[in-house]
Amino acid sequence: MQDGDIVHEMSEPMARGQAERLVPALEEVLAHTGQSWGDLDAIGVGVGPGNFTGIRISVSAARGLALGLDIPAVGVSTLEAVALTAPRPVTAAASASRGGAFYQVFTADGAGPPGLEHAEGDVTGWQILAARSDRDSPVMAFDAPSDTSTETLTTQPDHSLVAGIARIAATRHTDPALPRPAPLYIRPADAAPSRDLPPVLLD
Amino acid sequence: MADTPLTLLGLESSCDDTAAAVVRQGDGPADILSSVVHGQADFHAAFGGVVPEIAARAHAEKLDLCVIEALDKAGLTLRDLDGIAVTAGPGLIGGVMAGVMMAKGLALGAGLPLIGVNHLAGHALTPRLTDGLVFPYLMLLVSGGHCQFLVVRGPEDFSRLGGTIDDAPGEAFDKSARLLGLPQPGGPSVEAEAALGDPAHFAFPRPLLDRPDCNLSFSGLKTALLRARDQIVAEKGGLTRADRADLCAGFQQAVADVLAEKTRRALRIYMAEAPSVPALAVAGGVAANRAIRQALEEVADQAGVRFTAPPLRLCTDNAAMIAYAGLERFRLGRRDGMDLSARPRWPLDCSVPGLVGGGRKGAKA
Repeated sequence: MQDGDIVHEMSEPMARGQAERLVPALEEVLAHTGQSWGDLDAIGVGVGPGNFTGIRISVSAARGLALGLDIPAVGVSTLEAVALTAPRPVTAAASASRGGAFYQVFTADGAGPPGLEHAEGDVTGWQILAARSDRDSPVMAFDAPSDTSTETLTTQPDHSLVAGIARIAATRHTDPALPRPAPLYIRPADAAPSRDLPPVLLD
Repeated sequence: MADTPLTLLGLESSCDDTAAAVVRQGDGPADILSSVVHGQADFHAAFGGVVPEIAARAHAEKLDLCVIEALDKAGLTLRDLDGIAVTAGPGLIGGVMAGVMMAKGLALGAGLPLIGVNHLAGHALTPRLTDGLVFPYLMLLVSGGHCQFLVVRGPEDFSRLGGTIDDAPGEAFDKSARLLGLPQPGGPSVEAEAALGDPAHFAFPRPLLDRPDCNLSFSGLKTALLRARDQIVAEKGGLTRADRADLCAGFQQAVADVLAEKTRRALRIYMAEAPSVPALAVAGGVAANRAIRQALEEVADQAGVRFTAPPLRLCTDNAAMIAYAGLERFRLGRRDGMDLSARPRWPLDCSVPGLVGGGRKGAKA
């Protein structure tokens, strides 16, 4: 993005191999626009919510680039990018694993806290979100599943995810209190405390 | 050697330590200009072991801060470096990936070459950083995740003589501590209890000593400890402190005996090559156990071989060893591209078949 315009963007759907592909892809985008790394003022990076490993790949690379180039990296939530140009109120959503849906409600007064709607039995998190929202707060997402019950109730933003991230990053990169980008997990790490009980001590 | 001075930054994030270090080598031995290690023990304590997702989360938000700290302590900036070395495996893949991506970003942003390093090579080359050992030397790597005998012939030339076919010894210490209600990490707590106990009170097996090779097994030892514990509990309704100390002493003695005997066999194979300056080096957290270390020193003495074990801070996971191993690779002209992969498994010696099946839990290479 340059002077408020998206100059070039690319996106490749891939199931795996993002860690190998990401940096070469960034170099291709820069080369396409005739820019070099030194021309950048800031780096915007999506922090999710989404696939944990995927988010860490991009966040780690962005933090490394920021340190290497001595420019800020700006973490941008996928849900914010969804809602960027949407009329308020809107329920921004993104796919979670096992049929769940991440969501965040944006109203004229601001944004609510991000959350996660789990699937319940055969009902997906998307269907629960769709049933709860109404015409005044439609569900919007980049990656809604294509089953009919959700599809009819979900709209797409008029820009891409990566363009939304760049636009939002451009409004924040000069903030002196800008935090380093950190993944937005919402779901805690899947781990249970050890169940081994220690033996009774007799003395 | 009249080599150009080289300064490398190293990054390590393959298990539960986030680390960055700066190492410089001109004419003569390499200097560690800084070595920063941030552990995660508190995050994992409640789970009785390292949780990969928790580890990966911590690495991703800590690594660049470690880099800044390491550069500060070395009094350098990125512009003073000649390259970035990073652990590219083997290890917990989420953490390795965070490290590799961070290193790619740094290397690209600062215009520096990127060098992927095998974590095990980092451990195996550490005796050259600390003691200037010459190739070939025999290396016993004993830690929470690894256990193998390597003849180290060059920065990228390793022959594996044998290794564990199941658990690593450090893992067995951790599990034993858990079975006896002792705090984690298990190594130091089992060692402290063992010092109070009688190693002969309970009979523990000496796994695989009946086989002539250099392979080891520690999983059955842990099960033997569990059985002995359960038998005492069934008889008395619990353990006395003396029982606990005796169990620890018997377990530790069994580990020490097995490691010593297999080291004796590995030394025989190594010495048959008539190395110019024969040496046995031990690395990994388990090398900090005094009983085990003493047993290994005796074996080396009997064979007339120099014994070295790097100081504990360089024996356990750290980034100075990664920077140093990177430096050795760099001098061989090795560079990696921006498509460098993070690898969960990455054996140092690909000429011998893996000891542990690809999909199984256990030692990683």
